[in-house]
Amino acid sequence: MADTRRRIPGIAWLLATLILFFSIFGTRFASAPNLINIGNQSSILMLLALPMTLIIMTEGLDLSMGAVLGLSGVVLALLLVNGHALPLAFAAALGVGTLFGFANGVLVVALGMPPFVATLGMLGVAQGIALAMTNGESVSGIGSVLPRIYASRWMGIPFAILVAVTAYAVFHFLLYHTRIGTYVFAIGGNREALLLAGVPAKRYHVLIYAIGGLMAGAGAFLLTGRMSVGHPTAAVGMEFDAMVAVIVGGTKLERGNGWLPGTVLGVLTVGVLKNGLNVMAVPSSLQIASIGMLVIVALLIDTLRGRS
Amino acid sequence: MTGGKVDPGESEILNGMERNLLMNISIRMTSILMVLALFLVSCTKPHVENSGKTGGESIAVFTKNQTNPYFQTVRLGAENAARQMNAAVVQYIPTVSDSITEQLSEIEDAIIKRPGAVVFIPVNSKAMIPGIEKLNAAGIPVVNVTDRVLGGQIVSFMGCDETKLAVNTGRFLLQKMNGRGNVVILEGRGGSENSVNRVAGYRKALEEFPNVKLLASQPADFQRVQALQVTENLLQSYPQIDGILAANDSMALGAIEALDAARRKSLVVGINGTLEAIDAIKAGKLLATGDCDGFRHGCLGTMAAVRHLRNLPVPKEFIFSLTVIDSTNYAGMDVPYEQRMCPKWESIVKDK
Amino acid sequence: MSSVAWRLLGVLLLCVVLALSSSAFLTVGNLLNVLRQASLIFLIAAGLTFVILSAGLDLSIGANLGLSACLAAAAIKATGSISIGIAAGVACGTTIGILNGLLITTLRLPPFIAIYGMLWMVYGINYWAMAGNTIYGFPESFRVIGSGYFMGIPIPVLLMVLCLIVGSVFTRYTTWGHEIYAIGANPEVARLSGIPVRRRLIMVYTLSGAMSGLAGIVYLARLNSAEAGIGEPLLLPAIAAVLIGGTSLFGGVGSLSGALIGAVILTLVLNGMNLLTISGNWQPLITGVILLLAAGIDTVARKWNESRA
Repeated sequence: MADTRRRIPGIAWLLATLILFFSIFGTRFASAPNLINIGNQSSILMLLALPMTLIIMTEGLDLSMGAVLGLSGVVLALLLVNGHALPLAFAAALGVGTLFGFANGVLVVALGMPPFVATLGMLGVAQGIALAMTNGESVSGIGSVLPRIYASRWMGIPFAILVAVTAYAVFHFLLYHTRIGTYVFAIGGNREALLLAGVPAKRYHVLIYAIGGLMAGAGAFLLTGRMSVGHPTAAVGMEFDAMVAVIVGGTKLERGNGWLPGTVLGVLTVGVLKNGLNVMAVPSSLQIASIGMLVIVALLIDTLRGRS
Repeated sequence: MTGGKVDPGESEILNGMERNLLMNISIRMTSILMVLALFLVSCTKPHVENSGKTGGESIAVFTKNQTNPYFQTVRLGAENAARQMNAAVVQYIPTVSDSITEQLSEIEDAIIKRPGAVVFIPVNSKAMIPGIEKLNAAGIPVVNVTDRVLGGQIVSFMGCDETKLAVNTGRFLLQKMNGRGNVVILEGRGGSENSVNRVAGYRKALEEFPNVKLLASQPADFQRVQALQVTENLLQSYPQIDGILAANDSMALGAIEALDAARRKSLVVGINGTLEAIDAIKAGKLLATGDCDGFRHGCLGTMAAVRHLRNLPVPKEFIFSLTVIDSTNYAGMDVPYEQRMCPKWESIVKDK
Repeated sequence: MSSVAWRLLGVLLLCVVLALSSSAFLTVGNLLNVLRQASLIFLIAAGLTFVILSAGLDLSIGANLGLSACLAAAAIKATGSISIGIAAGVACGTTIGILNGLLITTLRLPPFIAIYGMLWMVYGINYWAMAGNTIYGFPESFRVIGSGYFMGIPIPVLLMVLCLIVGSVFTRYTTWGHEIYAIGANPEVARLSGIPVRRRLIMVYTLSGAMSGLAGIVYLARLNSAEAGIGEPLLLPAIAAVLIGGTSLFGGVGSLSGALIGAVILTLVLNGMNLLTISGNWQPLITGVILLLAAGIDTVARKWNESRA
């Protein structure tokens, strides 16, 4: 089970170091507008990383999240363009996402396919449908309601950040204060105990993947608002960013070891690094190398702390 | 599981304590080396230094990716122009090629640095509108080059009509075919506007030649190896392919490799005007490449940005002449970009 | 029937479908093309198979291939010598492989994410070094590695067969090969039986890196040019090939011949889509569905076997 006391310093130290470093050497990194930007830029990733934490805790992964997000965004945009109300369009996006998540769950849990292959295949399916529906083009003309909601601020805090914070609160409660959360830990760590206790573990396992799809749909809401269009390939690769954030944050791919606050730190660390490198005008190729270094350093810190 | 750590277990040589010590040391050393590297990397200066003389405006240049050589020429043109005008350029390139989300983030990050002006190539003409609006709100003037962004306030658009470029290039090929025969189209990447525009242009050109048959239009992801394999496959299907319309030079060159290997002949055209394409034209392998001269885009876009900041006149729109580069007119284009100099503003932009 | 036999049946079925749908499919030229295209995937998939057999995963193979190809290209241009170029490319790939192995064993980092970090670092170095340029134009004597024939068979295909034979002998008849399977099946038991697990792991990652370097050379020869990022589109197909071929991500199960069949299936699908001129928008969908079908059949078959055993 998670030993949070030992794990807290690791990624937090790394995040703090990066923030300190960029504050000193990057002009206006520590300014309020920039910090708010980081929060904004990280919010969609947060929505994906939260369910990804649960999935990884059960020894799985979901490679289809980015493609499903794209498809949900396309569905959302198309409905808006055709004059439907935002709540309906949003519900449809959530529905599409959940459907794909559910399909992933069925393939992995009921059929027993390795998550890598199952979600990779679903990536292709989601991507293909999105491309076919849009002919590869952006869907524009969604009106101003959604972009305005995205751009709105509540007591100075941007909408996206509020959504991300709310999502975290919900997931935190779910994981640490409900029965479902206990099951999630158990599915990863001690599946036999669950089955012995008569809990339909498989059902909850599928639910975890379905939640992943649902959050992809939610992410589509934010992304479409951010871009003011729906685009089939806009979120390609985001699932890898989410996995990095989760694992760098301390959740291990080993059974049942998960730490949700660590995911938040992981997402912020990635966001801070990318933003900081831009603020310091580091050449793009070296930015790519730095991201790799970040991953390895974070893992090293984690291993080091695990040893001591 | 894919990520489960496999415990290598006790070493065969050292005892437990020594091994732990060794590992701890290795971890610490590697961490320090990496952090040092990160530090060094972050302190790398941007490509072009501010010469310190009068001017010193900072121009932020946004291009789409690091992989397409076309954008490299744009960046070089921008730096060249900045040097000439005593300004400085900061390059923004997404780490994930053509990423909409990343370019939007880059705009936000750039605004923090308060550049004087922005030279902008959008990853997507519609999805970047919110980004342009953010720049407008921050009071940073935007010069849009190469691909038009379909919203927001811009100081000037300098580029060419991509669809028209494809029409001209396609037309050139079809005329060389005497308006008769079979062709195939090699499309780019799904979801890419460049691909959509260029294929549309090719198809439009085809409408002018009713005796030419379009056998197939297949995607090859703008990549050389895919184009090679797709062309190989198409060559098997169709015993007679007289022309290949490729949506970019990389794919055209991949198609040529496939033709060579199969010992078949076909007229091939591409788009981008890269040096390698020009070499292929010289060698008689490539018929032509449609060029909109990224180098000039970079030059003039940056000059326009600097001029605007210095209250000099800048045209609201400037459409570069399209060139279909073939064996007759490549002279002057086959100079390595590092050696090219930006043309003078006045010689290109007349009485504006 | 063994799993390889089932898969061969699947390949045959696919071939029958394609032969009926397109008259161009069943020609010598086309089939040789398919084999050659498959061999390019197989060369990286082979190294990856070793890693996956040991219950690991090497995500850096695409980045590795790109950097090795660029380095080889630069070496050939700089020294004019093909052998130096080839040596440089393979050395580059091997070095990255060794580094990966050390990350996993000495530093004990989780393979999936740590090597993903390496992927980014290698790409970063590659992009930085190439600066958006392309190195192209190589002598015919080098290009023959990719585009040449020997006794009517494309050279990459011969390389693939050679690789398959050597690799299969290695996995099935040498101690080292058996030890890799054992490590994948159960690392604790393997360790307790005296297998030097750490050394073997370094070996498999080194092998994977070396194969990526070699594949990079073949790519370079086939394409006649190198630029950063040529390996990017290869990672997922390579993994798909290995998995479709029956090698399990949990380790301990699988074979090189499976990887070859997987590579052939993927190539047949693409070949079919081109021959039938299926619209670009539908291609990812079809590829995804085929992957799911193949994996699904595999999973069901395995469960059925387990329940009978």
